[in-house]
Amino acid sequence: MDQVTATPTDVAIRTEGLSKRFGTTDALIDLDLAVARGEVLGYLGPNGAGKTTTIRLLLGLIRATSGRAEVFGIDAQADPVEAHRHVAYVPGEANLWPSLTGEETLHLLGRVQGRADPDYRQVLIDRFQFDPSKKVRTYSKGNKQKLILIAGLMGRADLLILDEPTSGLDPLMERAFRDCIAEARERGQTVFLSSHIMSEVEALCDRVAILRAGRLVDIGRIADMRHLSALTVEVEFDGEAPDLAAVPGVSGVAVDGDRVTCQVDGSIDPLLAVLARSRVRHLTSREPSLEELFLAHYGSDVSETADAP
Amino acid sequence: MHRDERRSARTVFVTTAKRAARGGVLWGVIFGALIASSATTYVSAFPDAASRAAVAATLEGNRGFEALFGIIRGVDTVAGYTAYKTLYSMIVLGAIWGLLTSTRLLRGEEDAGRWELYLAGRTTRGGAAGQAAAGLGVGVLLIWVLAGSIAAAAGADAKVGIGVSAAFYLAGAGAASAAMFVGIGLLVGQLAANRHTANVIGAAVIAGSYLVRMVADSAPEFGWLRWASPFGWIEELRPLTGSDPVAWIPIALFVVLCSSAAVMLAARRDLGAAAIGGRDAQPARTLLLGGEAGLTIRLTRPATIAWLGAMAVTGLVFGLVAEAAGSAMQATGGFEQAIQRLGGTAPAVVSYLGFVFVFAAGLVAIAVAGQIASARSEEAAGHLENLLVRPVARWRWLGFRLALGAAVVVVASALVGVMAWVGGAGSHTGVSFGQLLKAGLNVAPPAIFILGLGGLAFGLWPRGATGVVYGLVVWSFLVETLSAIFDSNHWLRDTSPVLHIAPVPAAAPNLTAAAWLLGLGLVAALGGIVAFGRRDLAGA
Repeated sequence: MDQVTATPTDVAIRTEGLSKRFGTTDALIDLDLAVARGEVLGYLGPNGAGKTTTIRLLLGLIRATSGRAEVFGIDAQADPVEAHRHVAYVPGEANLWPSLTGEETLHLLGRVQGRADPDYRQVLIDRFQFDPSKKVRTYSKGNKQKLILIAGLMGRADLLILDEPTSGLDPLMERAFRDCIAEARERGQTVFLSSHIMSEVEALCDRVAILRAGRLVDIGRIADMRHLSALTVEVEFDGEAPDLAAVPGVSGVAVDGDRVTCQVDGSIDPLLAVLARSRVRHLTSREPSLEELFLAHYGSDVSETADAP
Repeated sequence: MHRDERRSARTVFVTTAKRAARGGVLWGVIFGALIASSATTYVSAFPDAASRAAVAATLEGNRGFEALFGIIRGVDTVAGYTAYKTLYSMIVLGAIWGLLTSTRLLRGEEDAGRWELYLAGRTTRGGAAGQAAAGLGVGVLLIWVLAGSIAAAAGADAKVGIGVSAAFYLAGAGAASAAMFVGIGLLVGQLAANRHTANVIGAAVIAGSYLVRMVADSAPEFGWLRWASPFGWIEELRPLTGSDPVAWIPIALFVVLCSSAAVMLAARRDLGAAAIGGRDAQPARTLLLGGEAGLTIRLTRPATIAWLGAMAVTGLVFGLVAEAAGSAMQATGGFEQAIQRLGGTAPAVVSYLGFVFVFAAGLVAIAVAGQIASARSEEAAGHLENLLVRPVARWRWLGFRLALGAAVVVVASALVGVMAWVGGAGSHTGVSFGQLLKAGLNVAPPAIFILGLGGLAFGLWPRGATGVVYGLVVWSFLVETLSAIFDSNHWLRDTSPVLHIAPVPAAAPNLTAAAWLLGLGLVAALGGIVAFGRRDLAGA
């Protein structure tokens, strides 16, 4: 797996053997992870894989069963207050004080954080088309999410930890969010982005880490993952389609009339040799999307779930 | 309509009834046990006519006691004494249960976002509120049936001699308080912006009802005021002392009107909307929003002010009735026993004040429980997380909350003393300002001890902290009530922090006990802060 090897000051997040157990359930198992300063890392996994547990451990909201978590070289479990001076966190669900207005909330959270740029705060308010004069209890889910996003972004923290940050936002606001993250990257801020929106991760992240049942199963650049993964090939034949299932490297063959879709692992030559003996009308091949890469890691889980009584 | 559809249509009723039934069973058994133990203990403590006449001479006509516990009648009989001893405990506890349960199961469900899931089903806003009201009625019914059954079983003993109908009538008086404050909880839950505000308004209604009734019972010329207070109506039922069912009329009307108004308001208002504190927008007020300490003050300010106001009025009433109570005690001459049980010997007026200040210690402790409940609510709702993901130390947040709680206790305690002096100034009680201030401050140590234990519970067992601290207050209140009347077992008395203090101004302050209470409270609070720093944050 692709890991960052750098001095501690160049590393925004480092975990070593980080584990968390709730009762008899292992929520996170031996997580070794490093995120470089200035990097945007996508953190993927299905519900219950351990993404939020990782984030809560990094923030010191829950205690590790074993292992270590560091933020810019500071032990996030032993000294969370010092670590938080470098961090802004945006949760997927905004639980704010209902009796405060949006402006009061931003004022409070800015003062508590210790750094807030009023001009940049206003830029964010305008960009997200947010009305801060209303009380929190009157905001819709989307507007509450805008509020917590502005609160997180306005301090220009060294490290942004985002847990499903665009939950409830409309497509226009989601685009505004992407612009903000792109600007953050240009400023050299580090971003740890947990998301289920693959297009968002694909557009924003330098690397992705994939979590499964509490374990890190893959981490690397999306382009590298694609090269190492199966190619998707679609072929349309004039006449009967040949049997491709036995071709070396070919898997997942699906036949629909004269059209065949399959995946090819490794060299494509054996497949091309078979196709050369057939009458091919149309052929396309493409690298897998992030969504397909993600699903490939969970294919067995999906079939297990489907087979379950 | 098919069976499944009918079941689906009454989901809110069934769910609310199940949840209300748990509390109904618990409090029904407690009320029943309270009635049974009072009746049987009286039989053994006052076995003959002479001892019963003596206790009647001490208590009947004592305006000070009557201001606290209601008009005292027929305490030379098992029935009269049982009614005197249990009625106000049941009234106050029933009211608190009714209010907290109804706001939790209606407005609390709405605040948590679960109510809209019900409303997406086969019901309407008004229909769901009506079902919830009916479900809460099951809880009240269980209180009545269980308390009545246990009381009737105890009353079957020939020496006790309380009939089945009389037992159920007394239990009904306790359940009536629960029913009326279920109604209040339903109504204020529709008016307020959230459950917390609803509870504050409801608590003000409880305090107002109690205070109006206190004034009504403090002098014969104010007796008509009993009809202006829900607690007064229950008193007018006169259970076991010449029942007067006429008072059931305002009680029934009150329950029906509050519940109907709540259902109507629920049908008309938007989900999440409020009539009180419901402004959607306002200019930013950032004076106290410079950090977590200011935020804590701002969030707890309404409840704290309301509580300090209630304590001030309580102190004022103590002062106003002190002289009359002292005179009555001097005439009967038997009251000293009660104050001696608490460790004091003094002239009658001073004795009376010593007794009621111990009672005030229990009231101050309720404010402490509110502070712990508020801290837990911040954590459970996820609000605290917004602070703790920023450079805010856990120890600083909880430490400030506990320090603020202790400061409120000290101010509330001093206020009771100061206002008692103001109330008594016109009637020449002869008790100095300094004595009464000392008497007020004397009630602070037990409350600070309970605050420390609440902090420890918060650190170790967050989901149980509110229950632990309220349970401790209720237990202290029960033991305090029992010990004021009987020579109870000292092991039992020792379990109540309130009973470790001296009845100042009837006795010198017990500085040793106060120091122990403060020291143990501080140690417990520090333990709670350390434990909070080491545990996971816990959601609802």
